[in-house]
Amino acid sequence: MIVCVAVVGHQNNPLYLQSFTEADDALKLHHIVHCSLDVIEERVNNPKKSGPTLNETFLGLLYPTENYKVYGYLTNTKVKFILVTTDLEVRDADVRSFFRRFHAAYVDAVSNPFHVPGKKINSKTFAARVSSIVKTFGSGAA
Amino acid sequence: MAREVAESCVDAVVIEMVSAFCDRFYSAEPELAARRIEAIGYQVGHQLVERYTVDCPRFTDHLEAIKFICKDFWSELFKKQIDNLKTNHRGTFVLQDNMFRWITRISPSPVPESKNESPTPSEDNQLAQATSMHLYFPCGIIRGALTNLGIPCAVSADISHRPACK
Repeated sequence: MIVCVAVVGHQNNPLYLQSFTEADDALKLHHIVHCSLDVIEERVNNPKKSGPTLNETFLGLLYPTENYKVYGYLTNTKVKFILVTTDLEVRDADVRSFFRRFHAAYVDAVSNPFHVPGKKINSKTFAARVSSIVKTFGSGAA
Repeated sequence: MAREVAESCVDAVVIEMVSAFCDRFYSAEPELAARRIEAIGYQVGHQLVERYTVDCPRFTDHLEAIKFICKDFWSELFKKQIDNLKTNHRGTFVLQDNMFRWITRISPSPVPESKNESPTPSEDNQLAQATSMHLYFPCGIIRGALTNLGIPCAVSADISHRPACK
């Protein structure tokens, strides 16, 4: 179950934050997203030269907390996508395809001439597309 | 879902934009017109590069980003790659395009029949100025693209040979 998705700009400014649970712990989710930014920075600045992960956009599992897993994705324009999920078994391929579709929706939202780069994304179409991507996450696995 | 637009429409929009800014909006101050055109190009480049880097692996350094601009970005915009790339390894790059699509159709205004010498220097100058106005937009596009990739920069354009027949 995806709990929250977030888009963070290249100066670590939040561009979009959406939670998908009814519970009122939005603040806790904000905090988890914020902490994962540190992990991303660390991964990017100290690349593991052994792995093929030097140039990848998909950063993989950032860190598992008590009941959440956090996945990260970094675009070429230094925009970070963060996904928080409570699923215990999540397939790598699922997360990658999620981020691919999320990236496409993000690019469409940013190409809006009325969107000011650096400000929050206020597009309803983007919100609707993200909700539909979140709904189909994981159901393709079974 | 890629949609396509006729190239003539793009040409027409760019030409009209340049002439609108130069002759109607800021007719008395060409520097302001140039800056507005460059700012429009900046926003376009900023958004375009988001779209064109979707499937690329992340760039490790400035040279990779410039190579991306020379190859993928240029071929998406102008259907060809940059012909020559030079650098002084200290932060300056020279990109050379031998047939820049957007100014291949620029020609001097027809000369009245009484003068049959080669164009005078002042006419040449006017033509150079008009052509350089058209180059501010692509400069803005490149600057927007590089800034979004994390490389603050300044871009300037230079024409060595105007389109001509031999």
